[in-house]
Amino acid sequence: MAEKRTQRTVLTGNPVSAGAAVAEAFVYKPQKMEIGRIYYDAGKKKEKLDAFHRTVELAKEELTQLAKQFEEENGEQSGIFLAHREMLEDEELISETELAIRDELLEPDSAIEKVFSEFAGLLGQVEDELIAARAADLHDVKKRLQRIYQGRTEKKLSAPGKDVIIIAYDLLPSDTASLDRRHVKGIITEKGGCNSHSAILARSFRIPAVSGVSGAVDKIFDGMYLALDAGKGEVILDPTDEDTKKCLAMCGEERKKRSEEAQYRQRLGIMGDGTKIELGINIGSCTFDALGESYDFVGLFRTEFLYMEKNTLPTEEEQFAAYRKVLLQAEGKPVTLRTLDIGGDKTLPYMELPKEENPFLGIRALRLCFSRPDIFITQLRAALRASVYGELRLMFPMTGGMEDIYRAKAYVKETMKKLDEEQVPYDKNIRTGVMIETPAMSIIADMAAEVVDFASIGSNDLTQYVSAADRMNPEVSSYYQNCSPAMLRLLASVFGAFAKAGKPISVCGEMAGDSGLTALLIGLGARKLSMSASCLSGVKAALSGITIEEAEELAARCSTMRTQDEILQYLYTPKP
Amino acid sequence: MLTKKLEITNKTGLHARPASDFVMEAKKYASKVTICREGGTPVNAKSIVRLLAEGIGQGTKIELSTEGEDEEAAMVTLAAIIESGFGE
Repeated sequence: MAEKRTQRTVLTGNPVSAGAAVAEAFVYKPQKMEIGRIYYDAGKKKEKLDAFHRTVELAKEELTQLAKQFEEENGEQSGIFLAHREMLEDEELISETELAIRDELLEPDSAIEKVFSEFAGLLGQVEDELIAARAADLHDVKKRLQRIYQGRTEKKLSAPGKDVIIIAYDLLPSDTASLDRRHVKGIITEKGGCNSHSAILARSFRIPAVSGVSGAVDKIFDGMYLALDAGKGEVILDPTDEDTKKCLAMCGEERKKRSEEAQYRQRLGIMGDGTKIELGINIGSCTFDALGESYDFVGLFRTEFLYMEKNTLPTEEEQFAAYRKVLLQAEGKPVTLRTLDIGGDKTLPYMELPKEENPFLGIRALRLCFSRPDIFITQLRAALRASVYGELRLMFPMTGGMEDIYRAKAYVKETMKKLDEEQVPYDKNIRTGVMIETPAMSIIADMAAEVVDFASIGSNDLTQYVSAADRMNPEVSSYYQNCSPAMLRLLASVFGAFAKAGKPISVCGEMAGDSGLTALLIGLGARKLSMSASCLSGVKAALSGITIEEAEELAARCSTMRTQDEILQYLYTPKP
Repeated sequence: MLTKKLEITNKTGLHARPASDFVMEAKKYASKVTICREGGTPVNAKSIVRLLAEGIGQGTKIELSTEGEDEEAAMVTLAAIIESGFGE
């Protein structure tokens, strides 16, 4: 191949998601859809107003959908979409826009432009930076409305039909949601650290990414040929043939690694030195799909779906049937049923829960069950009755102290007594355990370990409570740190307490399914991990690549670090 | 119409969470609800964007007004929310 007649330039940034790519650049500058004043014919007033209302409804639906879609994988993004929907429920915004359509005869998209921009301008002027930042959200909502009104579908973040590396200042939540994963081979952003939106997303989609590349948007042009070595944090503009070859070789290795991972499906969690790590799946319905993956147990069976399907509380019979179905499908593998976890961000439309200033610190989960024993006892009865169809375990969420454990166990005992009287069969040796997701419970994990049969760390809630950062509030997302030095210390002590008592403990939050954190968790003392089935292959592969000794070394090293950034940087940089 | 002079006491002022909760509460009443900064013009307190745009911080003196069939109930509840510092 002839020598390229261009200037090879290397830009560097922070490696946030390892891997390599060679592709054309796609510089993503959020389109400026300047919409001027366009007027319509006075006779069409009703038609235009109706069209506007339809647009708002469609936008709300889209946002609800997006919030739901991200709820499981990324609560933070989910919260942003909910905040956007809240703006569409703002009566002033809506009525002012209606007024502009009705009285000024402005086309709806141009009325939206006028009113939403005005309001965004107002917010942008506020001295408080956090409030001023909400102006960007309002623009985001504005664009969504205009796009829907004009009948366009969401812009896919990829040039149609070809592979690209995205270059952006930063990716907005609504951008990332529409990312075309088949064609996006890499992400380069000017902003953001290891924990920015785009970084988290890139890692979960396994797209190579580099952040903090200053000047990228100006120095890189659409269609420019790029070689990306994300592990080293290098972006090469107009690479030489040698650069290209090197990156392509890395891509080949990555592909090989992935197809190798696929082979892990049938395997269990075995580490490089032969240590067995028990792997579980998290499920949230009564028919589940393990995606052909081998697994050892169901580490988290969320039961909320039963309460959300209808407009009334589920009966004992309905619950019994659902639990039996899961146990039969699990074919003898242990199934850990988590009792009702409603409250906080999850509510039941048909149940008037008291409005609370801080629902995450309010009547949620076990606390709700204690305040409504009828609900709790119905669930316990159904679960105990189903326990004869497999190996069922009962797990109580949101325990904050020993009283909670004693009280929950007393309810179980009482329910058993009732069943005995009625001569209804159940597993008399049923194991009971707790979720460790409050700081209080994790600090006294040694006491809990004495009285429970097992425990599971709910890392999402634990992170939220330890870092005092609402996981639904995007404004504090950078404070929500699941790998902070505080979390590492706490996790190590919880694992230690249970190991000492000889009681099993697992991790069932998001951390468990992140293959980038597998070595760290094992090193800190985890021997059981439960995750969504789609994460299993990655975690199995990660396990096979390390020994206990290596994992412990890595965890010890991380435990000396002072900030989460430092820890993540270390974890996500490939080791030589 | 009922009015009451109040002072914002909570640390973060009428920020995202308190503002959002306040608006949700205000919307439960049929009455017109406004908040007016000292020396400013009244804004619709059922609008999250309007309220945020006022940039009401700790120590700001405001006037809360309710007007309509349920103005009394609205005043009692909403004034209590502000006086309690939004539960912070």
